[in-house]
Amino acid sequence: MSINRVPISAGLLLLVFLFQEAFVNRINFFLGGFALYLAFAIAWILREERSSAVLIGFLAGLIADLSPTLEAPFGLWTFTMTGLAFLIVTYVRGSLDSNLSPLTLSIVTTIFSTIALILFVIFGAILGQDLPSLSVLARELIGNALWSFVLAPLYIPIAIRTHKLSLSARER
Amino acid sequence: MATRGTNRARLLLVSLLVTSLLLITLDLRGVSVVSSIRGFTQSALAPFQSFGSTLISPVGRFFSDLFNLNNTRERIDELEKENQELKAQVIFNEDIEGELKQLKGVLDLAGKARFKTVSARVISKGGTATISESIVIDQGSNAGIRRDMTVIAASGLVGVVKSTTGNASVVMLMSDPAFRVGVRVAGSQFMGVLSGEGQNLFSLQMLSAATDISVGDVLLSRGSSGDVPFVPGVPVGKVVFVENATGQLTKQARVEPFVDLNSIGVVSVVLDSRGNNPGDALVPAAPRPAPTVTVFVTPSPNE
Repeated sequence: MSINRVPISAGLLLLVFLFQEAFVNRINFFLGGFALYLAFAIAWILREERSSAVLIGFLAGLIADLSPTLEAPFGLWTFTMTGLAFLIVTYVRGSLDSNLSPLTLSIVTTIFSTIALILFVIFGAILGQDLPSLSVLARELIGNALWSFVLAPLYIPIAIRTHKLSLSARER
Repeated sequence: MATRGTNRARLLLVSLLVTSLLLITLDLRGVSVVSSIRGFTQSALAPFQSFGSTLISPVGRFFSDLFNLNNTRERIDELEKENQELKAQVIFNEDIEGELKQLKGVLDLAGKARFKTVSARVISKGGTATISESIVIDQGSNAGIRRDMTVIAASGLVGVVKSTTGNASVVMLMSDPAFRVGVRVAGSQFMGVLSGEGQNLFSLQMLSAATDISVGDVLLSRGSSGDVPFVPGVPVGKVVFVENATGQLTKQARVEPFVDLNSIGVVSVVLDSRGNNPGDALVPAAPRPAPTVTVFVTPSPNE
């Protein structure tokens, strides 16, 4: 990953974060909510190489930590996303087809955005954060998984295209 | 090469994880720089969130509404039903309020005359088939009501009891063509007989040709022997037209009743006048004219 890609990637992730905070969070989904930013970041990570995936995971987590409504300690999302990005590119990406189809990308994104939320809750609990009830947690996880998958045709093509745009000619 | 790449990735991973743990530690220890980052983010996001709220609010509930369409329909039905019930309640309350007002008025009138009365609600009206102007009230002989008792409302005379059962009575209204009542002009002792004509105007025939009667005069019931069928002093109506035809032995006039017979809901039946004759005490107060402001303008000599 070239050093030039860091500001471009961070800028794009910031834009998606802004969209999430300003628009998506205002939509009243009938079941749980939809973490567009998380799904977008994971879709992006899935298309990265190992080192750059870890760096993108770190950046994505750092931006997610900026959310003013977050009660967890600053850095918890950074920690979660960095570790998850490494796990994805090391143990999952290799077992998948080198040219990820949009459907596969949608399914894997849905699964790992759910895992990211679970890990975030677990790490938060370890750090002494108050946990929501099991039913609320289940609703949020199921809702996010549902919307991540259902709305994948909307955000996955954008993630693929913007990722391609961020690559240098040689990397493409 | 792959091993070198893996090692580099692991080194990067460890360093980034350590960095994130450092951030967590700093935040948990309350370092102000880290804590204030979110405050700064909130300030930066606020305009976008405000814009987003304006933009999204019309469609923000789209998904939930879409999936709760059936519930929404049920809710609308429920609210519509509730709305109908509330409308009915409002109408009922207005009706009750009107009745209370009438009841207060009739009790005031009876109280002023010191009559012993029993109040009753109008439960029915004579239909077209009966060819009579009458009402049915919900009090009868059980309440002490007897035939030929005077029936009054807040503004004055209504009619006379024609028949009675245990729990109901039929009242002949003043407007019935068979209705007759002896009256006198308030403030004088001129007497006459008022007759119903099946409408809202009544015919008055004075007993003497020398009677001085004019438009606006108030008529009160003269009273009958033993207060049956009429107690004295009850306001009956107001003269609205005086016929001055030559050759008539007596003066005749048209009278408008004080009581609107089409909208009475509560009446009182006078059980006993207790020997009281209120005289002119029950004459309705004339409406007070609104004060007129007069402005004098004196033109100045220059104009």
